[in-house]
Amino acid sequence: MTPRPLPVACGLAAFLSLMSIGAADTKEKKTMKPTSNQGAEAPIRMSLLPSPSSPLVAFRIQFRCGAINDPPGKEGLNALTAMTIAQGGTRELTYQEVTERLYPMAATIDAQADKELTTFIGNVHRDHLKAYYDLLTGILLQPRFDESDFKRSRDILLAAIETNLRGNDDEGLGKAALQWLMYDGHPYQKLDIGTVQGLKSITLDDMKAHYRRCAAQRNAVLGVAGGFPMGMVDSLRQDFAVLPRGGTPEVKLDKPRALSGVEVMFVEKPAPATAISIGFPIGVTRADKDFYALMVANSYLGEHRTFNGRLMNKMRGERGLNYGDYSYIENFIQDGGSTFPVPNIARRQQYFSIWIRPVPHPNALFALRQAVRELKMLVDGGLSVQDFEATRKFLLNYSRLWTQGLSRRLGTKMDSEFYGTKFFIDRIQEELPRLKLEDVNAAVKRHLQAVNLAVAIVTENASAMKETLLSGKPTPITYQTPTTSEALLKEDREIEAFPLPINRERVRVVKAQELFEK
Amino acid sequence: MTDPLKLVAALVLVILGTRFSAWGEETPRGGSKVFPYPVQVTVLENGLKVVAVPFDNPGLVAYWTVVRAGSRNEIEPGKSGFAHFFEHMMFRGTDAYPRERYNAILKELGADHNAFTTDDYTAYHVLAPASGLETIMTLESDRFMNLKYTVEDFKKEAGAVLGEYNKNASSPFQTLNEKIRDAAFTAHTYKHTTIGFLRDVKEMPNQYEYSLQFFDRYYRPENCALLVVGDVDPKRLVDLARKFYGGWKRGSYQVEIPAEPQQTEEKRVEVDWPNPTQPYLDMGYHGPAFSDTQVDLPALDLVSQLLFSEAAPLYQKLVVVEQEVDLLIGGAADHRDPYLFEIVARVKKPERVAYVEATITAALEDLKTKPIPADRLGKVKSHLKYSYAMGLDTAGSVARSLAHYIALTSDPEAVNRVYAIYDRITPEDVRNAARRYFARTGRTVVILSHKEGAPAGAQGGAGAMAAAAGVTAR
Repeated sequence: MTPRPLPVACGLAAFLSLMSIGAADTKEKKTMKPTSNQGAEAPIRMSLLPSPSSPLVAFRIQFRCGAINDPPGKEGLNALTAMTIAQGGTRELTYQEVTERLYPMAATIDAQADKELTTFIGNVHRDHLKAYYDLLTGILLQPRFDESDFKRSRDILLAAIETNLRGNDDEGLGKAALQWLMYDGHPYQKLDIGTVQGLKSITLDDMKAHYRRCAAQRNAVLGVAGGFPMGMVDSLRQDFAVLPRGGTPEVKLDKPRALSGVEVMFVEKPAPATAISIGFPIGVTRADKDFYALMVANSYLGEHRTFNGRLMNKMRGERGLNYGDYSYIENFIQDGGSTFPVPNIARRQQYFSIWIRPVPHPNALFALRQAVRELKMLVDGGLSVQDFEATRKFLLNYSRLWTQGLSRRLGTKMDSEFYGTKFFIDRIQEELPRLKLEDVNAAVKRHLQAVNLAVAIVTENASAMKETLLSGKPTPITYQTPTTSEALLKEDREIEAFPLPINRERVRVVKAQELFEK
Repeated sequence: MTDPLKLVAALVLVILGTRFSAWGEETPRGGSKVFPYPVQVTVLENGLKVVAVPFDNPGLVAYWTVVRAGSRNEIEPGKSGFAHFFEHMMFRGTDAYPRERYNAILKELGADHNAFTTDDYTAYHVLAPASGLETIMTLESDRFMNLKYTVEDFKKEAGAVLGEYNKNASSPFQTLNEKIRDAAFTAHTYKHTTIGFLRDVKEMPNQYEYSLQFFDRYYRPENCALLVVGDVDPKRLVDLARKFYGGWKRGSYQVEIPAEPQQTEEKRVEVDWPNPTQPYLDMGYHGPAFSDTQVDLPALDLVSQLLFSEAAPLYQKLVVVEQEVDLLIGGAADHRDPYLFEIVARVKKPERVAYVEATITAALEDLKTKPIPADRLGKVKSHLKYSYAMGLDTAGSVARSLAHYIALTSDPEAVNRVYAIYDRITPEDVRNAARRYFARTGRTVVILSHKEGAPAGAQGGAGAMAAAAGVTAR
């Protein structure tokens, strides 16, 4: 049977996969300029991936507009506008009528609103392409902006912050808190879905004005993949020509503030275990050569949801500390039940992060120390030639799996265009074989470090944990069943006393219920 | 198990319209089978089923091993969650391929590999270059026949399972799942979630001996199926399966799952949640087991769509027009034994829980008396078919779907039979199913809400809302 998917944005896990949480970096990138026609007279950008034998058609209609375009005091405007459009009607049809027509086709229209990009994602069987096309373009070009749809969407976003994130998703809360701390004062700081006060202050007129600003030809990329006829492409180009030619000016991104030592934000709430996220901005993206060198080092340290990374092997494999421990060199959101990243969350600035999945409270600071120690060992010692060769070979094969499915492939292609680089997987296949071990280890030293870190810790008794951390005393692991391995015990003693350069001035405790208010 | 070398399904035309002569021309789909790819099933002499599905995915294969044992098989007290725990242990290696070597070989292939456990089955899956097929079969056959781990490794892995419990425990869905099962079932093993009761998870480090017994009982060829989708030659696959799995010995254990007696009165449970939340209303009606021959469960699948899809009048009323709830889902997840038709609503205002419950109950009652219009039923059937077809876009998704039906019936053809039943369902079938299963005396209602001053800490359970979603190795 076919279980009904959750509606967009109900349940934060499902919600965040479509309405993600954000990221960062440091320097201006010449290569980040869009590759194709940007001039006032230029035709609208298209990104096509025909696959004539496919019975499916995937759409990704994207606007280069995101949470960073939210006006002060109206945080959440972009996400709320995107959701109200995707879960709304057209000039002629109510949301209810649109839903009724989409239903027999099992076709979908979703919105994904990130920091810099907003993408409307559609999927249809080509038996219904024309009827679906009319609904999709009706929704995007003549959105209804019904008061009722607006209210419903706003309630969902408010609940996503007030209930889901603050109360019922400790791992998501840790990641969001990391952004909040790491990007203090930067346009990337706030949640993509805004703040409670921001959402409450938004009016229907605000949304209409935001739509007029963002839904413009210069902001748009029209992505289509699958078994579509070329005639549809002509229709798409002509139909979107009704949008105003202009676009929003690009929001200037300053370099994120420099972190000073280990800065810690404890988020206190009733919690069954402690969730930890660690990070810092880095100055590389997929556009840069060094990104591909870091990709190898990062995979060695913490490839997402595999037993290849040291973090996973040392923390879970050897010690059974938790369910998983991974690291990333760019903003990463897992695509549903797969192991692979969601496309179309590309950003001009990126960050490095470590995700420590919930650890029993007594072992939380041991886990933090172990993760930072592993990072330091990578920075100081680099990879061995064997690890380098094995990891590079892995990535050359593994990365070919990342673009399974039409929509993912299309999204990855559009991201490559955003970064002004060739198709991401092709770039990996080009860059990795050229790499030498020295390149990887030098890139690690250039971009990674284990001294200036933002750390978000979601836990129950935060004040006590804060005191323990500030005391500098060892924080030994408590095993469910004591280990007998002498090598492990010896390393445990080093980990439990591993010195963290804590910045005492920048350690604080906040209540989960107070976060993301404004 | 059926005849060796039986060709279950010859090449079926890709039935989903592949013609498109002009932009804008509609091409209604035809054909009779919902699963559009050729399926070849072979049963080896030792009972291992080998299923090959060539699929246009050049250079890649999805390699799945389905073990028809899940948390349903945890019949002894204190052993809940063991099938899932054992799934974790399957990654701890053998003499020939210790954990590190196993991982290194799959790393070299660039494989994506993992596993998950549900109420009814456990699945191990690898997505990798087709050129690595023989290597994968070497590794997988070895661990299914020769798994070996130390007591210390066993205890360490219990920590990871506790970690998995913890990662899910901050979500109310785990607790709802735990509470409704515990209340609705008195004898059947569906009483516990797939990850198990917390008390049993904490006791796992002391169950080494039982783990050996579990392996001996269920990890046997006649209880398993290999499923390979993608760039695969069926004949070569069978030859390799004989070579690598031919020496796997049959088992003899027959599990006896306690039957659930009929529920005779409504049960109600209230749960205090430590964090502020809108109340959740969770209603479970005892339903039928999965069947690809009987109409009951397929008819309830249609009810799920008629009431809880976004286009459904009830959904539109509660979510879109009145905006009383921000989440409304309902359905009967496929299970080998009778499970629940479960409905979950998150109600925006605590004082409106009773209204929402009454409205949902009234909609269920209406199904018993008011016939569903034929055109509405037609739209549901169309939705189900297209939804299924659109999900088959990668080798991995095709394998996931067939694994589900193999686990339920041991026959991948079950998917076609179920969708054929959908096609035949009449308004009377829907009415009869509603009358049979939506009795107030057969339901359990759980209401989870936050009360000021509620005790802090975890109350969690495991897995996702739908039991079939399962829990994974990492």
